Amino acid sequence: MSVLTGKELRIVGFLCNWCSYGGADTAGVARATQPTDLRIIRVPCSGRVNPLFPLKALLSGADGVLVSGCHPRDCHYSAGNFYARRRLELLKEFLPIIGINPDRFEYTWVSASEGQRWQQVVTAFTDRIHKLGPAPRFKDAEPIYDLPGALTGLVRPLDCGGNPALDELKQQIREALADGHLHCVVGWQQGYDAIHATPLHMRKPEDVDRLIWGPFNIHSTANMITQLIKEAQDAAMVGVKRGDPIPPAKKVGVVVKGCDSKGLVELLQEKLIERDAVEIFAMGCNGTVSTDRILAKIGGAARVSAVSGKGDTLTVTTADGVEHALSMADIAQDKCRACKMPSAKVYDHFAGEPVTVAEDATPEPAAIMAYLDSLTLDQRMGFWKGQMERCIRCHACRNACPMCVCREVCVADSREPHWVTQDDTVTNKFFFQLIHALHLAGRCTGCGECNRACPVGIPVGALKMQTSRIVQRLFDGYQPGTDADAVPPFLGYEVEEKNIPEHHIERA
Amino acid sequence: MRIGVFICHCGSNIAGTVDCAQVAQNAKAFPEVAFATDTMYTCSEPGQDEIVAAVKAHNLDGVVVASCTPRMHEPTFRRTVERAGLNRYMFEMANIREHVSWIGKDKEANTNKATELVRMAVEKLRRNAPLYTKKFDSVKKVLVIGGGVAGIQAALDCADAGIQVVMVERETSIGGKMAKLDKTFPTVDCSSCILGPKMVDVAQHPNITLLTASEVTNVSGYVGNFTVSIKRRATYVDWSKCTGCGLCTEKCPAKKTPDKFNEFMGPTTAINIPFPQAIPKKAAINPDYCRKLKEGKCGVCAKICPTGAINYEMQDEIITEQVGAIVAASGYDLMDWTVYGEYGGGRYPDVITSLQYERLLSAAGPTGGHILRPSDGKEPKSVVFIQCVGSRDRSIGRPYCSGFCCMYTAKQAVLTKDHIPDSQSYVFYMDIRAPGKMYDEFTRRAIEEYGTEYIRGRVSCIQPNGRGQYVVRGVDTLMGKPVEVLADLVVLAVGVEGAKGAGKLAETLHISYDHYGFFMESHCKLRPVETNTAGVFLAGACQGAKDIPSSVAQGSGAAAKVIGLLSKPQLESDPQISVVDIKRCVGCGKCVDVCPFQAITKQSIRGEVKAQVIEAVCQGCGLCVATCPQGAIQLSHFTDNQLLAEVNALCQC
Amino acid sequence: MTICFLATEGLVPWLAKLAQNHRVLAPRREGKAVIFRPWKEGDAAPVPLKATVSPKGAMFPSCETLVSYKTTKNPEQLDKVSLTLKAPVKAEPTVLFGCRSCDARGFVALDKAYLDGKFKDPYYEARRKATTIVTLTCDNPTPTCFCTWVNGGPASPEGSDVLMTAVNGGYVLEGISQKGKDLLAGSGLPDGADKLDEARAARTEAAKRVTPRKDLSKAPERLKARFTDMDFWVSQTAKCLSCGACTFMCPTCQCFNITDEGDPASEQGGQRLRSWDYCMSPMFTREASGHNPRMAKAARMRNRVSHKYWYSTEYSSDGRFSCTGCGRCIAQCPVSLDIREIVVKAIEE
Repeated sequence: MSVLTGKELRIVGFLCNWCSYGGADTAGVARATQPTDLRIIRVPCSGRVNPLFPLKALLSGADGVLVSGCHPRDCHYSAGNFYARRRLELLKEFLPIIGINPDRFEYTWVSASEGQRWQQVVTAFTDRIHKLGPAPRFKDAEPIYDLPGALTGLVRPLDCGGNPALDELKQQIREALADGHLHCVVGWQQGYDAIHATPLHMRKPEDVDRLIWGPFNIHSTANMITQLIKEAQDAAMVGVKRGDPIPPAKKVGVVVKGCDSKGLVELLQEKLIERDAVEIFAMGCNGTVSTDRILAKIGGAARVSAVSGKGDTLTVTTADGVEHALSMADIAQDKCRACKMPSAKVYDHFAGEPVTVAEDATPEPAAIMAYLDSLTLDQRMGFWKGQMERCIRCHACRNACPMCVCREVCVADSREPHWVTQDDTVTNKFFFQLIHALHLAGRCTGCGECNRACPVGIPVGALKMQTSRIVQRLFDGYQPGTDADAVPPFLGYEVEEKNIPEHHIERA
Repeated sequence: MRIGVFICHCGSNIAGTVDCAQVAQNAKAFPEVAFATDTMYTCSEPGQDEIVAAVKAHNLDGVVVASCTPRMHEPTFRRTVERAGLNRYMFEMANIREHVSWIGKDKEANTNKATELVRMAVEKLRRNAPLYTKKFDSVKKVLVIGGGVAGIQAALDCADAGIQVVMVERETSIGGKMAKLDKTFPTVDCSSCILGPKMVDVAQHPNITLLTASEVTNVSGYVGNFTVSIKRRATYVDWSKCTGCGLCTEKCPAKKTPDKFNEFMGPTTAINIPFPQAIPKKAAINPDYCRKLKEGKCGVCAKICPTGAINYEMQDEIITEQVGAIVAASGYDLMDWTVYGEYGGGRYPDVITSLQYERLLSAAGPTGGHILRPSDGKEPKSVVFIQCVGSRDRSIGRPYCSGFCCMYTAKQAVLTKDHIPDSQSYVFYMDIRAPGKMYDEFTRRAIEEYGTEYIRGRVSCIQPNGRGQYVVRGVDTLMGKPVEVLADLVVLAVGVEGAKGAGKLAETLHISYDHYGFFMESHCKLRPVETNTAGVFLAGACQGAKDIPSSVAQGSGAAAKVIGLLSKPQLESDPQISVVDIKRCVGCGKCVDVCPFQAITKQSIRGEVKAQVIEAVCQGCGLCVATCPQGAIQLSHFTDNQLLAEVNALCQC
Repeated sequence: MTICFLATEGLVPWLAKLAQNHRVLAPRREGKAVIFRPWKEGDAAPVPLKATVSPKGAMFPSCETLVSYKTTKNPEQLDKVSLTLKAPVKAEPTVLFGCRSCDARGFVALDKAYLDGKFKDPYYEARRKATTIVTLTCDNPTPTCFCTWVNGGPASPEGSDVLMTAVNGGYVLEGISQKGKDLLAGSGLPDGADKLDEARAARTEAAKRVTPRKDLSKAPERLKARFTDMDFWVSQTAKCLSCGACTFMCPTCQCFNITDEGDPASEQGGQRLRSWDYCMSPMFTREASGHNPRMAKAARMRNRVSHKYWYSTEYSSDGRFSCTGCGRCIAQCPVSLDIREIVVKAIEE
C-alpha cells in the first residue's frame, strides 16, 4: 500500500507486546499526539525481531524502521532484549555498507508505563525520517559495475616455495591411514593444470603421494568436514540392524592451513562437530594465491607448462615458453594479505615448524573495504546493484562457505519461511546475500571462500567483512574460530554491554 | 479464506477522528475479505452478537476487529469467535484507537492509517492457523522460597488448602526480618508475640516440609512440573538429635563470633541458636569461627551435647524436589548506607541502622532490651533519627521510596521515650508518608504525645564533638534555616533493596528483576503477585518495599494464585509456542543455546539430531525463531511468514 | 551478399545501427567476469572474450514470468472473484553479438529440449525466432576448452546465424543461416569474400590451440556400464560442493523450477515464474513426500554427466552430446572439478 502522498513517509515499527506496545497504548490512553506515519507490527518480544525483518522492510520501501522492546533486565522473557540488543546494533552498523543511512533504523526500549516517552520517541524518529526524506530505492540506484583494482598490502612476507616439512606431513597421514581409524583425509592435489589445485580425498596410504602443499592450496578444507563426518557415520551404520548399538564412526582427517583451522574451531565452538570426530593435520602456511590474479597477469587463455616458486616469486612458464615471474605481493589472495594466523592452533599433528606472524603486525584495512568506505551511501547502493546484477544465484558462495551448514534447507530455497522468492530482481538476489552476511555475523572466519567461489567475481565477502568489523568493535576484537570454548557473540549477551550505547531517540 | 472485518466506532472514541465506514468500505477490497462493516461498540453484547451472526450468515472462517488495543479485548473477541464456532486463533485485531484515533486529529491520515492497519491484520490472518491447547498434569506441591512473614503466610494458606509445601530458608531459622523487630507499628504490639505462633504453625503443619539453612540452586521445568535443586548447608549438628537445649552455646569458647541475627550489635558463639523463639530451635555451627572446624582443636560442644548431635564431618547436601508452583518470598535487605560519607560512612560506632536499633530495643537482643550506646554502653538521652538514607535520593541512584521507614521511625521514637522517659528524639524527614490505616494517627501520636521533634530537612553531616556526642547538622526547610542537634545516638532509616542474591535467584527462577534486586510482577496493577514466568509467584518485599500487613496480604494473594493453579485437575498450555519443522532442522542447537527457558532440547530421530520444543515449557518469546538460520523453528501465531506478510503489506516497492 | 567485411573501426557504428531496431546483447567486462549485457549506442566496443556465463539467458532467461494472474472482487458481492490471466511472451528482435561457437552450439542442444517433438515451448521459441546469433570465431581457447572433443570447434558454424572471424584490420562476416544472411544483406557492409582465406587460416590456427582431442565416442556405452558403479561416482564426486556454478554457466543445461510468487489478490498480482534450477542441488529431485531419489551427490553427478554424454545422445535425433566443450563448468568450479576427467576415466577403465 502506498503512503499518503506528500504527508507521510513509510515508517514501520516492531514493538514487543509486553512493554513497548503497552507503552504505545499508554500514550494513546493519555491522548499523547503523535505523527501518523508509524505502522506498528506487534511481536511477542524484541528478541523475536530477526534483523532481517527491518532489513527486508528497508529494502522494499520503508523510509524508516523502529524496533522497541522492554528495558534491559525488564524483559518479559528474561533475556530476549539482551539478544535483540546485539543483533539490532549489528544491523544498524551494517546498513551503511549497503548504502542505507543507519539513521533510518533505530531501536530503543520503552516500558508499558512510559507513554510520554513513547510519544517523544515516535515524534523524534518521525521527525528524523522526514528530515532525511524518502529513502533512496535500490532499484533506482545508479549501478557501478567496476571493481577497484587496488590490492591490500601484505602483513608479512609471503613465500611460494613450498614447505620442507611436506614429507613429514605425508608420513603422518600415511601412518594414520594405515592405522585404519580414519574415514579419509582431505587435502589438496594438483588440478587440471599447474596453477589449479583441487581437493584430494586420501583414503589409502598411496593416495598421500598426490598431496601438495603450497600457494595453490586455496580451497578451504573445513568446508567439507560436516559432510564427511556424516559420510563416516553413515559408513559405520552399514549393516547395523535396528536396535543394535550404534557403532562409533571413524574419524575424518583434515589437512589445514591456519585459516582452515579457524573454520574447524568455529564449527567446534558452535558444537556442529565434535572434537574427537576429526583428526587435524596442520602445517604452517606461507600464503596462497589468487588464480584469477595469475591469469590476469599471464592471460586468461594461457597454457601453463610449469610452475616453480622461490621466496616471493612464483615463476609461471607458459606453453609458448615465456617465463612469467610473479610477485606474491601481486598475486596473493586477499585473505592471506592480512592473515595473522598462518598456523593452526588446534591440531593433532603438526608437521615442521609453525609459521608465525609478529604479534604487533597490523594488517592494512582490506582494499575493498577502503574502497566502499570512500563511496557515498548512494554510490554504495549503486555498487551493490551493479555487482548483484550479474549474480546468477548458483549459490557457490554459500556452498563454499565452511560455516554454511544448512545447505539443502537454506532459506534461499524455502517457502516456509519465504524470505526470498525465485524472482531474480537485483533486490531479491541481494537480499539473499544480506541474509548470508547476517547469518555469518560473529561466525565468519574470513576465509574468503565466498569471494573466491563466485564465478562472476562479486565481492560478497565485503558484506561479511562489514559484520566482522562490527563484531570486533562491539566485542573487544572478538575473532571467530580462534577459541573453541568461546560463545559466538550473537548466541550470548552481557547484561551491561560495554560497547553498545543506549540509543536515546527522544533526545535527538 | 472468508474473512469478516468489523470496524468499531467505540462511540466517538474512534469514529471522532477516523472515518470508520470508509475503513470498512476500503476493507472490502482486501484479499479474501467476504464481509466488512462498522459497528458502534464491537465489544458490547450486541456488537459481539453481530460478529457471531456474521460468521454464520457469511460462512466466515476468520475475523478481524479493528478497535482498541489487543491487550485490552483480544481475549474478549477470541471468546466471541469461539462462540461463533471458529478457532480462537482465527482472529486478529487492528489497534485503531490507542494507536490511531487517540493520538492524532487528522481524519484523512487516521482513516488511511486505520485502513492500512486493517490490511496488515487481514494479511496476517490469512496466514493464521487454528491452534489448540493441550492439557497436562501438575504436581500438587509448592515451593516457598523465604521464611519471612510473607513466605510463612503463603505457606500456611497453601498448606491449609491441602497443598504440600516445601519451605526453603537461607538462615537457620525462619522468621525473616519481622523476627528481628521488637514491636510493630501502628499498634506497638510485640512482633514475636504475633509472628511466633505462625512460625510454630509452620513447623507443626503436616503439609509443610521446612528446609532451613538451605538455598535453591537450580530450577528447571515449567508450570505444574518444576524440578528444584536445593542445597542444604552443613550445620554440623544432627538436627534429628538436637533438642535446642542450648548447653553447647553456653560452653562454646568461640565467643567472638559475629551475630548476624542481632545485626552484629554484639558477639555470639560459633555454635548458636539465633534467638530464643527460633524455628526450628536447633543449634548450628558457624564454620568460619568454630575452633574445631578451623584448627581441629576444641570439640567442647560435642563433649557436652547430651544427645550426641554434633557432627563435624557433616557435608552440604543437595535435595531435589518436584513442585507445581513456586512462591518467591525472599524479602529485602538494607542497602549499603556507608556510601554516605557525610554520615561517617560506618566509622562512628553510635551511628546505627534502624534494624540494629530494633535489636537494641528487643528484650531478646544483645542488651536485653536496654537502649545502650554501642560505644560506651551508656543510655542515650538525645536520639536523632534520619529518614530516607538511601531512599528517594537520585544522587546515589536510589530514586524510590522505601515505603515503611516513616512508620517504623515514628514507632522507634515512641519506644525510645518508653524506654528512656527523659530522652528526646529528633526526626529529620523529607516528607511523612503514612498512608495506611491508623498510620498518620500514629505519627501524630509520636509527635504530639511523645514529644518527638520532627525537622523537615536533610542532614548534611554528622560529626563527633570529641566529648562522646555527635553534632548533627542539617537544615530546617520549614523554618528556612540551618539546624544543629547534639546527639548521643543516631539512627538511620536505611533504604531497602532486594535481598542479597536476589538477582541470582531471579535468574534461577527465570523471572525479571530490576536494578535494585526487586522482582518484576506481571502487571503493576492487575497481576501484582504473578510473574511473567507461569507458575512463579511473588510475596512480600522481594517484589518491592512492603510493610508487614502488605506482605501478609501478598503472601495470601500468592497462596490464592497457587491454590487456584494447582486445584485445576489439569493445566492447559498456551499454543502460541515454537514448533520445529524436523525436515528443515539441522540439529545445530542454536535455539537450545539461546532459549531463556530451557524449553528446547536435542533429540535424536533415526540417528539425526533435531531440536524439540517442550510444549509446556515454551513461553512463546520467539527468540529461537530469530536465531534459527534456516527458519526451521517457527513460533505459532507469529511465524516468519506472518510477520513478513505484515511487512509486505506495508512495503512493496 | 553473404560474406562481408567489417573494419575494426566500423564495429561500433554497425552495432549502433543494429541497436536502432534490435536489442543487442554483447559481452562486457565487469570485474573479473565477462557478461552479456544489452549494448546501446555510446557503449564501448564489446570485449572479444568468451563470456563467463554462457549467453543461453538470451533465449532461456534465468527467470521469466510464464503467467501473471490477478483476482478482482465484485464490490457488490465480495465472494464473487474474477481471475485475469496474462501469458506474456516477450520476444523483441535481438542480435546476440560476440558469442562463441560453443555458445551457439549450446542453443542447438537447448532446441532439443524446447523445440523438438510435439510440444514446443512458446517462450523459448519466440525468442529463438527473434534472435540472430552473431558468433565470433574463438582465437584464444583456454586450457579448459574442449570443443573439439565434442564435435565442435572454435569456428564451428553450427547454431550460428553469422560467423565472424577476426582478420587483419577487421572481421570477416559470413552469413550461415537465412536469418544471418538477411542481417548482413541489410547491413550495408562491403563484401569480404576476398578475406575469406585469411579467415579460414585463422580458424585452423585456433583449432590447433584447443586442448588435444580425446575420443569420447564410447562415452554413452561406457557411462551406461558405469551406471551402477557407485564407488566410481563417489570417488569422482567427493570434492563437489553441490553448488550450481557448473549448470548455470553451462550453455546446454536446460532445467528449471516453476514457482508461484506474489499474491493474486494484491495490487501487484501473482506471477508464475520459471527460473533456472540445478541438478547438483539436493533440492532438485526432492519430492513432495520428502523422498529424494538423488540424495547423494554422487547420484546427482552421475545424472549430470550421464545426461550430457549418454542420455542426450539417445533422445536427440542426431545423437549429439549435450555438451559443447566450453569448459565453463571446469574453469568456474570452486573446487576445479574437471568433467573431462570424469568422462575420460569412465571410458578408460
